[in-house]
Amino acid sequence: MSLAAESAVGAKRNYLQALNEALHEEMARNPDMICLGEDIGLLGGAFGVTEGLLARFGSERVIDTPISESLIVGAAVGMALEGRTVMAEMQFIDFISCGFDQIVNNLATFHYRSAGEVSMPVVIRGPAGAYGGGALYHSQMNEAWFCHSPGLKVVCPSRPYDAKGLLKAALRDGNPVVFFEIKELYRRRELEEAVPGPDEIVPIGKAAVRREGRDVTLISYGQNVYHCLAAADKLQEEGIQAEVIDLRSLVPLDEDTILASLAKTSRVVVVNEAPRTCGFAGEVLARIAELGFEYLDAPPVRVTRLDTPVPWVKPLESYVLPDVEKVALACRKVCSY
Amino acid sequence: MSSLSASAAPAEAAEPWGTDQRPSSSLAPQDLVEILNQLFLARYFDVRLIKEKKRGHLRGTLYSSHNQEAILVGALYGLEPFDWISPIHRDMPAFFLKDLKSGWRNPDRIGMSIQEVCAQIWGKAASPGRARDNWSHIGSRKKRIIHSTSMLASTVPVAAGVAYSERLRGSKAIVLTFNGEGATARGDFHEGLNFAAVHKLPMVTVIENNMWAYGTPLELGCPTPFVADRAKGYGIPGLVADGQDVFDVYDKVRWCIDYARAGHGPTVVECRTYRAYGHGDHDDDRANKYRSPEEVAEGRRRDPIAICKERLVELGILAREEADRYQPEGKSASEVRDEDFPPDVVAYVREGVQFAIRSPYPDAEEAGWWVFHEEGEPQP
Repeated sequence: MSLAAESAVGAKRNYLQALNEALHEEMARNPDMICLGEDIGLLGGAFGVTEGLLARFGSERVIDTPISESLIVGAAVGMALEGRTVMAEMQFIDFISCGFDQIVNNLATFHYRSAGEVSMPVVIRGPAGAYGGGALYHSQMNEAWFCHSPGLKVVCPSRPYDAKGLLKAALRDGNPVVFFEIKELYRRRELEEAVPGPDEIVPIGKAAVRREGRDVTLISYGQNVYHCLAAADKLQEEGIQAEVIDLRSLVPLDEDTILASLAKTSRVVVVNEAPRTCGFAGEVLARIAELGFEYLDAPPVRVTRLDTPVPWVKPLESYVLPDVEKVALACRKVCSY
Repeated sequence: MSSLSASAAPAEAAEPWGTDQRPSSSLAPQDLVEILNQLFLARYFDVRLIKEKKRGHLRGTLYSSHNQEAILVGALYGLEPFDWISPIHRDMPAFFLKDLKSGWRNPDRIGMSIQEVCAQIWGKAASPGRARDNWSHIGSRKKRIIHSTSMLASTVPVAAGVAYSERLRGSKAIVLTFNGEGATARGDFHEGLNFAAVHKLPMVTVIENNMWAYGTPLELGCPTPFVADRAKGYGIPGLVADGQDVFDVYDKVRWCIDYARAGHGPTVVECRTYRAYGHGDHDDDRANKYRSPEEVAEGRRRDPIAICKERLVELGILAREEADRYQPEGKSASEVRDEDFPPDVVAYVREGVQFAIRSPYPDAEEAGWWVFHEEGEPQP
């Protein structure tokens, strides 16, 4: 995916506008698609991702649900069983725990249990991530729960182009997809860019190299990609050239892009803002240990949240989360091994 | 401990049809005979499974539907072939009882064949789910049966979604869900029914109140005298039926089906019955810990087959000697013999069992199939 191709079509969009455009386009393209969620209609969503859908597509296809996450997912399963494509919004991804059983035991396993008779084109999306003072219940990155549940695809875009392209791909995939949006990136001006056109998608399962380098590979996704890029700038001044990989898709995971980079750099740091134990960074390191051990010249390092909840006030929140300094420090460590 | 009175005052008007005729009054004589035969079939199927399980032929747990057959037969008999159902663990016969009146051996009926259901129970490749999950955890989009999980009441939000989606297409189909009284305490039951009531969805919620949720009695799970009282919170009708009387079940559920089809919205029908055995066959011995023999005997006193027969004799549909010819009623699985059932019922179940026994298991490599939907994936 070249930068030229990305900027060839359309006006610049921020991350939130890109998502909104994807929903409008897919609703127009697929008359069997239904949107479900809390406050997604009259209000247009707590953040505005679903703005304009109700007026354009009507209350039968854009449903303001009660505060009932299990119902939202369960009804999406029923609608998909009847032949629909469904976008189900979690108002904050933290609230997904209230619909957890319906996701991991019902939605994720439906195709398997029905021996291939029924597929589940259901996308569960919602705003995720810390760094904004959202405290314990508006800051979570709980992607690992879903990566650990066979039958779900899991994606997490870091920029408007991917936000639109991946959401469109997810809505056409035919499998349940848990879609992690980074709310801190929703309106960030400096990220505005041209986005895919109505008929374009970003394929699920492909990582992107955001910066090339030969000394160390930084692997991340979501807003930590920007911590990695800023750390790479810093390290450049110190003579360390870091390569930065944005995974974009966690399930399925693009092992080829990771291994190709390791073959070049021989050193790796994996960054995620979720807690350390059984977090996705651990899975990435396990794959590297199994598939790319010979490439490594230094023990790999993880930079993650501490194994704590996300606390509220800034000094506490910053203390537990990855940041540019922590990432740079980890790189210096693996590069000086 | 539990109140066994099925004749106590219902939550809603006992007879919601008011001065109109009760729905069953328009059933033809052959329907009444068919209903009795379906009761025999459901009982014989269950008895046969109990015996097969005791002989060690079946894997997993058998949740007996003994003494609760009138609920399945009575509720399902009022449906149209294109309607959806969601059975639960104790409803194994429901998979073949659905649309059975279109012909027991009619390959075009919109219900599962006895062969498919037995293949599932025996864990064979011919099961509709290719034996990937056990016993009642099968379904079929084609047969309009919602696949359930072990998380009870999780089918209620799903049923609401199906009902919503069907109505949006302009379809006349309704969705009938079964749940035990224990599952009505779960959040999914509330969330699903709340949404269904808000949108007046075409959904009928049948509660099989057998007084025991595994080892927990009704009064420790439900604060109101009737489970159907929960309907008041949603502003929808909550009816109570005598779950031992197939015609009372038919009347009340059929009224709700017609109500849903007319666009008035969802309903709850509590069918009061009693669980004949343990929660599952693993629990048969331990069930004495929490239920007295006197209570069990009282709960099983009114056998649904006997009650149905009496009605047919009263109506002159069945002669007394015909009614007495086959008498499985009042007998436990270990007491009852094949000769206690009509030969065509025994033959029908035998066809399913023999098919299942002869069928192959799925290939081991299938275990890795269908985790994800993919282009070119194997077609079952």
